[in-house]
Amino acid sequence: MSETHYQPVLDDKLEDLPSTGRGHSETPVLHRRSSSVSSLKSEGFQYIPPWTTPYVIGIGGPSGSGKTSVAAKIVSSINVPWTVLVSLDNFYKPLTPEERKEAFQNNYDFDHPSAIDLDLAYKCISSLKAGKKTSIPVYSFVEHNRVPNKSINIYGASVIVLEGIYALHDKRLLDLMDLKIYVDADLDVCLARRLSRDIVSRGRELQGCLLQWEKFVKPNAARYVKNTMESADAIIPSLTDSTVAVELLINHIKSKLQEKSEGHLRELIKLGSYGSKPIHEISSVHELEKTNQVRSIMTMLLDKTLKQDDFVFYFDRIATILLSKVLDHLPVSQRTTIETPSGSVVEDAPQCNFDQVTAINLIRSGDCFVASLKHTIPDIPLGKLLIQSDSQTGEPQLHCEFLPPNIHKYETVLLVEGQIISGAAMIMAVQVLLDHGVPMERIKIVVYLATELGVRRIMNGFRRKVEVFAGAIVKKEDIHSNSWAKSRFVDSKYFGC
Amino acid sequence: MSTEPFKNVRLLPQTNQLLGLYTIIRDKNTARPNFVFYADRIIRLLVEEGLNYLPVQSAEVETITGEKFEGCDFLGKICGVSIVRAGESMEQGLRDCCRSVRIGKILIQRDEETAQPKLFFEKLPADIANRFVFLLDPMLATGGSAIMATDVLIKRGVKPERIIFLNLVCSKDGVDKYHAAFPDVKIVTGAIDKGLDDNKYLRPGLGDFGDRYYCM
Repeated sequence: MSETHYQPVLDDKLEDLPSTGRGHSETPVLHRRSSSVSSLKSEGFQYIPPWTTPYVIGIGGPSGSGKTSVAAKIVSSINVPWTVLVSLDNFYKPLTPEERKEAFQNNYDFDHPSAIDLDLAYKCISSLKAGKKTSIPVYSFVEHNRVPNKSINIYGASVIVLEGIYALHDKRLLDLMDLKIYVDADLDVCLARRLSRDIVSRGRELQGCLLQWEKFVKPNAARYVKNTMESADAIIPSLTDSTVAVELLINHIKSKLQEKSEGHLRELIKLGSYGSKPIHEISSVHELEKTNQVRSIMTMLLDKTLKQDDFVFYFDRIATILLSKVLDHLPVSQRTTIETPSGSVVEDAPQCNFDQVTAINLIRSGDCFVASLKHTIPDIPLGKLLIQSDSQTGEPQLHCEFLPPNIHKYETVLLVEGQIISGAAMIMAVQVLLDHGVPMERIKIVVYLATELGVRRIMNGFRRKVEVFAGAIVKKEDIHSNSWAKSRFVDSKYFGC
Repeated sequence: MSTEPFKNVRLLPQTNQLLGLYTIIRDKNTARPNFVFYADRIIRLLVEEGLNYLPVQSAEVETITGEKFEGCDFLGKICGVSIVRAGESMEQGLRDCCRSVRIGKILIQRDEETAQPKLFFEKLPADIANRFVFLLDPMLATGGSAIMATDVLIKRGVKPERIIFLNLVCSKDGVDKYHAAFPDVKIVTGAIDKGLDDNKYLRPGLGDFGDRYYCM
């Protein structure tokens, strides 16, 4: 993240792009899809976010060969957000009390393939590969047990690096990997590294370490680890300096990731290019009626000479009108009998569960709605998503997600953004909610200014099941004479920078 | 958008949300903080709807990309007039939409001797005759005080068609009586109740709005 500059998603790279208009479309794309995604595909689901096809790199090799530093080098060089480094060490099987006793006496074989719960490792990696939120156990080398009630939650990974002695041992794991690397080293070098690590970082004694090496590590390395080299796509040789080899690999990974990101972009572009039904006739698209209020507020907001405090005031007003319009579509949750203070009884009075609404703001333009949200529903739970596009490719990338706990239980989840231009960030945001178990029908997109292209992409991506409530939608045929709709000005004006 | 037989009455669309809001404020078990919050929500909707009645003229602005945008802006000056005390609860809603709006006040109370409404106090903007007036009173039951307040406005030179009367709950009787006197005043309301009880309270109504908003 240090070298590349990220920018708010958009948009000019995605806008109106003919699918043949860019050089990269000639490059053949190797787009892998996992099986769970293709089942969605058969339902007519169009959007494949990058994290349902994460690029999986396996790094195996004997203990002490330098896998960890190779992995760290790769992670820091490819510079892709949501690159996840998973160590197979996390998957050591918990020991029984007897085994633990042996372990403390350096008499337990940690270096045999059976010491690692490869079934669980496979389950976790394939779940990550399917784009699901996944918990990975945490293992304590001091206690020789999994740390209770502690796990690492991973979601939305676009690159997964799996590192461990037996990373290339299990056929099922190998099938999930896009690139398999074996890090080789002479066993005496391995021993030296191992000793310094075990004694310094893991608090062991020299005698025990040596015993373990002779009894378990060395024979297992020869018997089980060495031959996993055969499954590798690349072998980092046993040299004192492997920089060149690692750099070659990094270049290869970068070019693969670029193909993947171009494939993602192409898919997003394609989403906007079909569907002939006029946008205003799609029943899940709602645009504010152009009343005098709505028109005059829009006129002021578009006026480039409007001062910031006025902009904030009028934006809050139109946002409140828009949110109220969204809430008009809330279901009646139940009917009840109430009594008024003057003693009249009202039967079957409709009730709406305003406390069953949560709002997720897309940073930053969604934050323009915070004031109006609080005015509309007291104590509304707010979540946030940061999605930005890579400044070089324009590909949207998920940077972070803070969602209310049990988000799938809310009756209505508002996804809030100031402007939709290409629709790419919003499509990704919807996918994040779906991955957290929110049914499509409960998602309502709230946006002040949208382009028809962006809205169409969302409609096509989610089979028109996600509703869009827009303050104004600028039609395709009008966009060229109204290019302000393609410029991200709402949040800059609202926040004054 | 008048709804016969209620001529010149704009009833807010009876959406699930609006009905849900009314259920909350009608319920006697709703505590004051919630009553205030949800009554304010309805007031905001009434104000926004009322503002739509103001005339506009077309206006052109220059956008950040340098392109011109053909929109509109409002014509004419406005002010608010609240009927003390319950009507004052609606002032903030008006102010939330029109920041520096002038607000006049009228106090009308029932005269103990004649049992008729009596004007106790009025303080109105000097140039009120040139303004569109938002008359604020949450409940329109018999229409007595609203009629007297409107009379005051007209005597000060306000044109009836420039008065927009915002109210939360009204009765058909109240509307009929009011419109018999002022057919050109527009009423924007959120609920039309069945009628009045023996104490001239709206049925089902929501109790004494001022008490619930300010004291209870």
